[in-house]
Amino acid sequence: MEGGLEMESEDEAGEGGEDEGDDGEVDAWPEIDPASDTEEEGDEEDEGEDEEQDEEDEESSSSDSSSLHIFPKAKTVISSITGQPKKVYPEIEPDYDSDSSTEDAPNRVGNIPLHWYDDLPHVGYDIDGKKVLKPARGDELDKFLRTVEDPEAWTSAFDKNTQMDKPLTAEELDIIRRLERHENPDASYDPYTPTVEWFTGEGKQEIMPLSAGPEPKRRWVPSKWEKKKVMKIVRAIRQGRIVPSKPKSTAPQFYALWGDDAAAAAHAAPLPAPKPRLPTHAESYNPPAEYLPTADEKKAWEDAEPEDRERDFVPTQHPALRLVPAYDRFVQERFARQLDLYLAPRVQRVKLTRDPSALVPKLPAPSTLRPFPQHRALRFVHLDARVRALGVSPDGAWVASADERGDVCLWEVCVGREVRRWAFGSSIGALEWCPRTDVCFFVVSTEDALHFIVPPHLPPAVAVTTHDLLAPAELPPAPLGTAPAPAKWTSHSADADALLTVALPPGGGVPRCIAWHRRGDYLASVSSGEGPGGVWVHQVSRRHSQAPFKKVTGAVQCVRFHPVKPHFFVATQRYVRIYDLAEQKLLKTLLPGIRWISAMDVHPSGEHLIVGGYDRKLCWFDLGLSDKPYKVMRYHTRAIRSLAFHGTYPLFASASDDGALQLFHARVHADLMADPLIVPLKILRGHDVADGLGVLAVGWVPGKPWAVSAGADGGVVVWMH
Amino acid sequence: MASQSTTVSQPSLPVIFTTKTPYPIPAQKFMVPASWRRYQLSQLINKALDLPQVVPFDFIVRGEILRGNLAEWARERGEETVELEYIESVMPPRKMAALPHEDWTSSISCQVPGRFLTSSYDGAVRIFDYSQKLLCTAPIHTACTTSVCAVPSTTERASDGLLLATSSHDLTARLTRVGFPDSPSEKEEITQLASLHLHTAPLSSIDVDPSGTKLLTASWDTLLGIFDTTIPSVDEVAPDPLPARQKKRRRVEMTEVPKKVPLAVLRSHTARVSQARWREGGKGAVSVGFDSAVRVWDVEREICAHTVSASEKPFLALALLSAGEVGGGGVLAASADRAVTLYDLRAESVRAASATFAHMGGVPSSLATGSKETQFVSGGYDGVVRLWDVRSAGKEMASFKVWEGKGEGKVLSVDWREDVVGIAGEGGVEVWRITEQGS
Repeated sequence: MEGGLEMESEDEAGEGGEDEGDDGEVDAWPEIDPASDTEEEGDEEDEGEDEEQDEEDEESSSSDSSSLHIFPKAKTVISSITGQPKKVYPEIEPDYDSDSSTEDAPNRVGNIPLHWYDDLPHVGYDIDGKKVLKPARGDELDKFLRTVEDPEAWTSAFDKNTQMDKPLTAEELDIIRRLERHENPDASYDPYTPTVEWFTGEGKQEIMPLSAGPEPKRRWVPSKWEKKKVMKIVRAIRQGRIVPSKPKSTAPQFYALWGDDAAAAAHAAPLPAPKPRLPTHAESYNPPAEYLPTADEKKAWEDAEPEDRERDFVPTQHPALRLVPAYDRFVQERFARQLDLYLAPRVQRVKLTRDPSALVPKLPAPSTLRPFPQHRALRFVHLDARVRALGVSPDGAWVASADERGDVCLWEVCVGREVRRWAFGSSIGALEWCPRTDVCFFVVSTEDALHFIVPPHLPPAVAVTTHDLLAPAELPPAPLGTAPAPAKWTSHSADADALLTVALPPGGGVPRCIAWHRRGDYLASVSSGEGPGGVWVHQVSRRHSQAPFKKVTGAVQCVRFHPVKPHFFVATQRYVRIYDLAEQKLLKTLLPGIRWISAMDVHPSGEHLIVGGYDRKLCWFDLGLSDKPYKVMRYHTRAIRSLAFHGTYPLFASASDDGALQLFHARVHADLMADPLIVPLKILRGHDVADGLGVLAVGWVPGKPWAVSAGADGGVVVWMH
Repeated sequence: MASQSTTVSQPSLPVIFTTKTPYPIPAQKFMVPASWRRYQLSQLINKALDLPQVVPFDFIVRGEILRGNLAEWARERGEETVELEYIESVMPPRKMAALPHEDWTSSISCQVPGRFLTSSYDGAVRIFDYSQKLLCTAPIHTACTTSVCAVPSTTERASDGLLLATSSHDLTARLTRVGFPDSPSEKEEITQLASLHLHTAPLSSIDVDPSGTKLLTASWDTLLGIFDTTIPSVDEVAPDPLPARQKKRRRVEMTEVPKKVPLAVLRSHTARVSQARWREGGKGAVSVGFDSAVRVWDVEREICAHTVSASEKPFLALALLSAGEVGGGGVLAASADRAVTLYDLRAESVRAASATFAHMGGVPSSLATGSKETQFVSGGYDGVVRLWDVRSAGKEMASFKVWEGKGEGKVLSVDWREDVVGIAGEGGVEVWRITEQGS
């Protein structure tokens, strides 16, 4: 209605006028013919038309002013049925014209404040989305001239929707005129209609009274019940039960919204009822044959007491669902269920009660995994030199340790007294004892050479066997059909430092790693120099050396022989490759994820492998599982230097530059399904860190839970349990 | 004491005194102030007995010698009545002498009166007298001599000198006679009499029986050999069939001595035998080894009569307690897990370990018992010699560090005769005196 015609500063009055007009029309009391009160049909018709008219009126009033006509003219006709005059309104044509919503208004922006378009050149959009431009408006002079020249100018009003002046129609002018006179704006309203005396008027007198009974006494006696109610309130006020100016609520105005609400806890939600068990195959009307009881089982079920029965029904087979009889135990079952719900205490289960300590893997206590090395029993000192390598003899009695100045010391494990010292004068890279028991010697590596050294005080039989092996009287024939080996094997007299020397081709550098095969005939050495010439496999009995790899990708760090199978482990800088020496092919490449591998050792069973790196990681590989580590441990704070498995005890040790030796219990099961159990046991600290280097080598005493470790501070320590 | 008793506010403890010394007091409960220490308790015993000469006592509570006062002990254990066993106190050991050696000494023997026999890693056996004078240096072995003992002579002639039995890393044991000249200007006479051939690995110990007729050798090759001390005139061993050149040359360098073969070989150990000793009377022998076993041998029948198997205890040394009232002829065995264990050989059960003496400092490497039947000394790799009483397993009676100020020196051997304790090891030899107040 606001969006429709806007009377200048008189829209309120105009609306009021219209409303009044509406009321007048709807009520329409004056128009009702006194004779028509009995004509219900006509009345109804009138009302219906009135309503229609009302709707029409509203619709038209919300549309633009061009189609504005306030009330349709009613015609008074003589009813053909009753013979009485009646008002007939023009028929409403249900075409598009009658629907104001589809009228062709140019501006379709809807009922919005039109001052939004004040600063714009257009006033809205038409039905096609095109802008409806503001019509050109004259200035004040034009307006003045129009008032002078145009006689209708002063009866026109500004239409905001179209932004132009529209001349008012005669009906509108009439309404304005009436409003100015404070009259009813409806022209057809007559305020002075004669009074109709409905029950006493001419021809309308009541012949029969509505009730012939005498007026009851209560009509003029004060109400007793009202008095009682009032007195009740009065008494309550007197007794103070009703306080006139009582504060409405004692509840605090502000309270902790998220606070602990004791009231809510008092009315906890009822516990959910336990769910009945879901039916299984046995409850099916046609269960599989294995669920059907045999005759014996059925008899046993019938003989048993109802409490002793495993299930309270007998699985029965029905060939079709329509043959299933009514459920005979329905009442009992419902009753039992109700009893359960009534009697069974309900426990509210908290879903997630997880103890954080339960997430920690359950490892046995180290005290239950004894024996393992626990204390420093002995310390053997190389003066002013880093001890680079050590080896413990297979009988567990002697330790040979080699330092960077080229001194190799042989000493007793149990006493720590040096028995013999050999001086080579150049740095020693590795030292390993031959694992054979019928001979006794060890191999040390210096620049481009391997020296085979025999310890003193050997039993005569062992000494002779060793001598015959390393310095035989007649040399074995050179293998036929091969080029002369680049490595030269030279035997020396027994008085020399080394009984046998293998000179590797020059340029390889100091062999950093020596690995013996289990049988003690083959040994592999890894030179520190780059290129494929690094890895050599030497056969002592044939006095022959060969380089097994034509081409090696990456610098080889460490090699090991498989203890059982003819396999060969080669650790390059990033990967560990396993070769089959019999078939001469690559079996597997392990990916430790270590940036630079420093050490490696094979479990005595040959099924597991540990790899350590300069980036502090220690990876355990289960060779039967995957080429990814089974477990990665990063317990050292500096680079790992050496790793060693114990030959018989389930122990392994890792030595690191942080000066500590870490011991692990590693239980490996023969059952392939069981995972190895790795338990950190102890950190042995006793070496000093010198120039950033800590423990450089670690070894185990065969047959004893004793570890030997060599450090950069020149100390070699025996750890006993 | 009177002043102590006047302080009423002091709490007192009920104490029962027991003893096995010849100074018993009637068994009754004494109310003793809780702040009393050993000194006051010892005074109490002396006053109660009214001894003519003061005898200091030490007190043992539940297998641990009492240090500190009674209140501390009662607070730690939370016990009401304190049972105190008192023993005669031992004076703090005093250092008597130091016998310098250039090389490590592997063993010492004080069993010859007035003499110390030391064996060194340079292979020589040295004989000192009690005035610290080096009497003789006998280069018997080319490798480390691991132990030395003097064979008691059957004939009582001093001019015969000493018959030494030595064991060595060169796989042999030797019998050597050292004759001391009558005048000091003459050179002593060293005669190598026999070389005992059995073992194929370094020998760890040799021991002679009290009668001086039998030798017991223990070796790393798991064998024990029993030799007699008679000197053979010819080689009992067949000539070495090995034609190895360098072996022959080396053997030529050594003095040719007759080779002896053993009377019996005892084999039951499965790993290195670290020490073997004759039992009292020479009827049997006891040996310990790296296979965690203590074996008692019936030498006449050449069988192992009794075996005590421990778990993961590689034994390094052995000592025998004399068969007295307390020790019961038990065997003390020092193991590499820093403990000395007392095994009661009379017990037939498996649980023969009756007491364990824990060495927190280092591995006990050597043991020796003296004349006292309940006491022994142990020397460890930490350079500390400890004096123990078998009744006080928790705490040692006394301990002292040898080679003070020379850094870490391992003790490799101890020997104890009467009140003289000889200690041999990395830093040479030291002699200490352990005395009791009463004697």
